[in-house]
Amino acid sequence: MGFFSSLDTEEYDREYQDRELAARIVGYLKPHGIRMFWISIFITLVAVAGAALPILVSDGIDRLSRNAQDEVIVLLVGLVFLSGLVTWGANWIRRRLSIRVISDVVMTLRTDAFHSAANHDLSFYDKFSSGRVVSRITSDTREFGNLIVLVTDLISQMTQAVILGVVLARIELRLFLYVIGFLPLLFFVALGFRKIARKVTREGMRAMAKVNATIKETVSGIAVAKNFRQEGAIFEDFDEANLDSYHMNVQRGFVLSLVFPALNALGGVGTAMLVYVGGMNVAQGVVTVGSWYLFLVSLDRFFFPVLNLSAFWAQVQQGLSASERVFALIDAEPAVVQKGHIKPERLEGEVQIQNLYFRYEEDEWVFRDFSLHICPGESVALVGHTGAGKSSIAKLIARFYEFQSGQIFIDDYDIRELDLHAYRDQLGMISQVPFLFSGTVAENIRYANEHLSDAEIRDLAMKIGDGHWLETLPDGLQTEVGERGGQLSMGQRQLVALLRVLAEHPAIFILDEATASIDPFTEWQIQQALDLILKDSTSVLIAHRLSTVKSVDRIVVLREGKIIEEGDHEGLLAQGGHYANLYNTYFRHQSLEYVEKTKKLAEERRLS
Amino acid sequence: MTESVMRSSEFTLPKEKQVSENVRRARTSPVRWIAAHAIRYWYLGIGMLVGAVSNAAFAAIVPMIIGRAMDALLQDPPDVALLGRFALFILVTQIVRGGLQLGRNFSAELTGQRMERDIRHELYTSMLGKSMTYHSLQPVGDVMARATNDVREINFMFSPGLNLVIGSLNFIFMPIILSFQYHPTLVIVPLSFLVLYVLSLWQYLYELRPISDAVRKAFGALNTRLAEAVDGIETVKGMANEKEEVERFEENAREFRDKRVHQGDVEARFIPLLLMGLAQAAGLAHAIYLFQAGAIKVGDIVGYFGLLLLLRFPTFVSLFAYSQVSLGVAGARRILELINKETELDQNIQGYDRTMEGELEFQEVDFAYPEDELSLSGIDFKVYPGETVAIVGQTGSGKTTLAKLVNRTYDVDSGKVLIDGIDVRDWNLEALRRQISIIEQDIFLFSDSIAENIAFGRPDASQEEIEAAAKSAQAHEFILSFKDGYETELGERGVTLSGGQRQRLALARAFLTDPRILILDDSTSSIDSETEDEIQRAIFKAAEGHTTLIITHRLSQIRWADHIVVLRKGVIAASGTHEELMETSEAYRRIFSE
Repeated sequence: MGFFSSLDTEEYDREYQDRELAARIVGYLKPHGIRMFWISIFITLVAVAGAALPILVSDGIDRLSRNAQDEVIVLLVGLVFLSGLVTWGANWIRRRLSIRVISDVVMTLRTDAFHSAANHDLSFYDKFSSGRVVSRITSDTREFGNLIVLVTDLISQMTQAVILGVVLARIELRLFLYVIGFLPLLFFVALGFRKIARKVTREGMRAMAKVNATIKETVSGIAVAKNFRQEGAIFEDFDEANLDSYHMNVQRGFVLSLVFPALNALGGVGTAMLVYVGGMNVAQGVVTVGSWYLFLVSLDRFFFPVLNLSAFWAQVQQGLSASERVFALIDAEPAVVQKGHIKPERLEGEVQIQNLYFRYEEDEWVFRDFSLHICPGESVALVGHTGAGKSSIAKLIARFYEFQSGQIFIDDYDIRELDLHAYRDQLGMISQVPFLFSGTVAENIRYANEHLSDAEIRDLAMKIGDGHWLETLPDGLQTEVGERGGQLSMGQRQLVALLRVLAEHPAIFILDEATASIDPFTEWQIQQALDLILKDSTSVLIAHRLSTVKSVDRIVVLREGKIIEEGDHEGLLAQGGHYANLYNTYFRHQSLEYVEKTKKLAEERRLS
Repeated sequence: MTESVMRSSEFTLPKEKQVSENVRRARTSPVRWIAAHAIRYWYLGIGMLVGAVSNAAFAAIVPMIIGRAMDALLQDPPDVALLGRFALFILVTQIVRGGLQLGRNFSAELTGQRMERDIRHELYTSMLGKSMTYHSLQPVGDVMARATNDVREINFMFSPGLNLVIGSLNFIFMPIILSFQYHPTLVIVPLSFLVLYVLSLWQYLYELRPISDAVRKAFGALNTRLAEAVDGIETVKGMANEKEEVERFEENAREFRDKRVHQGDVEARFIPLLLMGLAQAAGLAHAIYLFQAGAIKVGDIVGYFGLLLLLRFPTFVSLFAYSQVSLGVAGARRILELINKETELDQNIQGYDRTMEGELEFQEVDFAYPEDELSLSGIDFKVYPGETVAIVGQTGSGKTTLAKLVNRTYDVDSGKVLIDGIDVRDWNLEALRRQISIIEQDIFLFSDSIAENIAFGRPDASQEEIEAAAKSAQAHEFILSFKDGYETELGERGVTLSGGQRQRLALARAFLTDPRILILDDSTSSIDSETEDEIQRAIFKAAEGHTTLIITHRLSQIRWADHIVVLRKGVIAASGTHEELMETSEAYRRIFSE
């Protein structure tokens, strides 16, 4: 079925020299050398047994037409039995061996790919979406596996065709050339069909995608449609897309329905001519009836290799570009390079950023000559508009990105000298959308600290609002959080993420505060958890909540990569500078003062 | 207005678009149901069958003619004239065969495509007819999977599935039927092949199914965790857990590998292939024996052996054609599950139908979801017409569920929900819902223009009315900030709106239909104070003159509501005005302290 399978190939830029690529592929196959050797033996056996069948039968026919001896006929029939047995037996063994080679190679490739994906720094993930990375690790590696199947199948068919070809050529060269001459015609017709099939398939898929989009939209909006009794309108949208898709796909179906009948008819024409031309040769005594028969039966066996060959290059290219994509993932250069491997003892948590230059993209400096000193145990809130550099500071302290010049010291260690794994062990981080892994709440809390006992986790959980928050979870700590934590509300996810950090007991805590709306009760619990962490760790907070900026030791106000103001909430507000401005923009509506004011406004409007 | 009152709540289509009664009745079993759909295209089925039989017959002609030609050549002198006629006969029949095969393929293809179209149509209209309760319990992803993949599977079940099954079975029957002409006993081999083929194939598919399921499951596990780890790479790295994730991945990859190898081993031992080889050899031996006994000629051996070579097609095709058919049936079963799920709410057409005052009362209401922890019990409070009630509580405290009892998305287990003193179950459902507007937490907008979205509930609304509604909802200004104003397209190909903007459009939508009771599930957050100001104004405007239930996280709304209900674990923990609660509830006081 190779003919239809590769209809959706895509363009891909070459990044590897062919030789380099081949060497890489061979490298993955090498550990399976012995298996590969046996596979090729059994492929040959299958091919020989397959080719033997028509040869044996045609020889038998010659003998029978000359009324030959019984013993030879018995032997021939025995060999035909044997050919059937060998075809099946050798295939069995070959496929058992192949599936092992393929599965092992794919597994190794996948593991290698994920291993390097896990070790790439975040600048890598800025360039490649996570969906693309995942598809490289799962689909592209599978394509690579298919490549092996494809090549071995074709080799098997070709070997059989070559054996038959040699036998036929030795019987009667001219007749053989006639058969061979017919093949290019078949090849090009098949190629032409492929081209048309690709086109109509693409159109069919596009129409299909439209139906899916329409269904998705209207089914998601069904509650709204029902609320306003507009079912008729959305039905019409659907009906139109559904009928469109039907028409496009019928066209596609017609082309695909035509392929094999056309090729069969072409094969029939070839057979008819061969019956006549070959038959004349028999009548003239050039070849025997057996040989004539062999030519006729063999025609079919050239048919499939040619058909597959017409699809072969496109498929091989597809397989090769898939493996290129995998190797590109494995070989991507890390941007963050550590010069040393110091594994520090318990850190104090002092952070010194000195004369730092940093940018994500060429020509777009985020920081130029930036310095910041955070004392051990201090809590610092970073505030500023989007693009001021708040999260860049957090990410640089976490060593997710490489900076261009300047220095960052953690305690007195150059951040580039630290063993990353050991360093991050002492770092607690929560991103703006707190990420949980599927599993239970307890498992997520334990994520950073495997040795925590159930009792210890329970104790931690009880520290937050006397454990009232556990009531909101159907199974308490054993609640399944779902993929990416989707079963929990944003507030619950934040609480779990905060507990995860509490369990880790980090020297440095980095928080990118969520902007999602959270009910006031949960909000209060979050604040409690946050206070517990702030007490023990040096903290860098990208603040979005008023209560956070009020609870830190120091607020650092950033604008375009520069620190323009520093101090505490009251002091900065009194100054009436950029912070006061930011307060009016982002924090004012969170204050109780604002709440009371709305109440008054509401009353006035009601009276008027 | 009268027309919409007359119409029953169940959505009905124009007659020519409706699903036929035969199909409805067949919804009890997937096979019957598919058959009921397919029977409408019986002529295509006949086309497929005729094509299949004649295609196989015309394919069988080739070896038979070759046998006859051989006999002609073996005469002394060879009959060359006959040879020419035979060649011509093959030429013509094979070209005709191409046409017949095309007929078979395209009949199957057309049936498959029409089945896909019709079944998707049936599923979709059935979804439209279901109640809101049904949809609020049914995940969209599920419906999507049924309407796309499963419907596709039914298409594939016909083409290539059934097409190849029927086509290839004829290639088994031909040798059985046609071998008689050479010698009656020659039927033994193809007949035994048929029996053994069916048995071994059944065993093969039976053995393979659980293994394939295991492979799919292992891949699912591998893929899910991988996607999660890559999505959460920042967390993985931040927690220095790369090594553990790689180990976990390796474990999953190995599990998948082992399952896949197991599957490969079963596939490798494909008995029908052995049967085919043995059948060819046994048939050959049998024919030669008959020849030596003088019962048949050399050409007959060739013809008969050629017929046995036809068995290759069913042998190789059976590797996937049968599982394709069973996948189709499984898909149909899943689709029927969706269609057959009934909803309990009755339409109550005889119920009260009049304009609401807007008084809302919960009397000792208990409610629990089947198979779910979350429940409400002893809910009791009253809202006077025009009042605003804020419902507050943590996730899982039952806020949204409480709201859904008002418009009968769900019905209470005990107690009563009363509107204007009348139990909601005694209201005409259509009248009830028409006068209650719910703005849900996830606001859904269609991929149409902004104007069309606002006018969704009243497609006849004029531009002035639309703009007035938008102004009341504080949406006018941001709408005009787009290049195309009210004609701006939303959705995938258009602009994406922020949560606050979506909310204000939904409010505008509600303003236009002017409901008596407004239920607002407000959980958007404002990043900046200015947006917050606008949302406050819009919601306040919306609450004016309507009885309003606001599920909210905003302290300011809680503050100005006439009445506050604090829920905790499905019971009312506190209820009253702000001043009352400040006195009585410690938890409430806490959230109002800085």
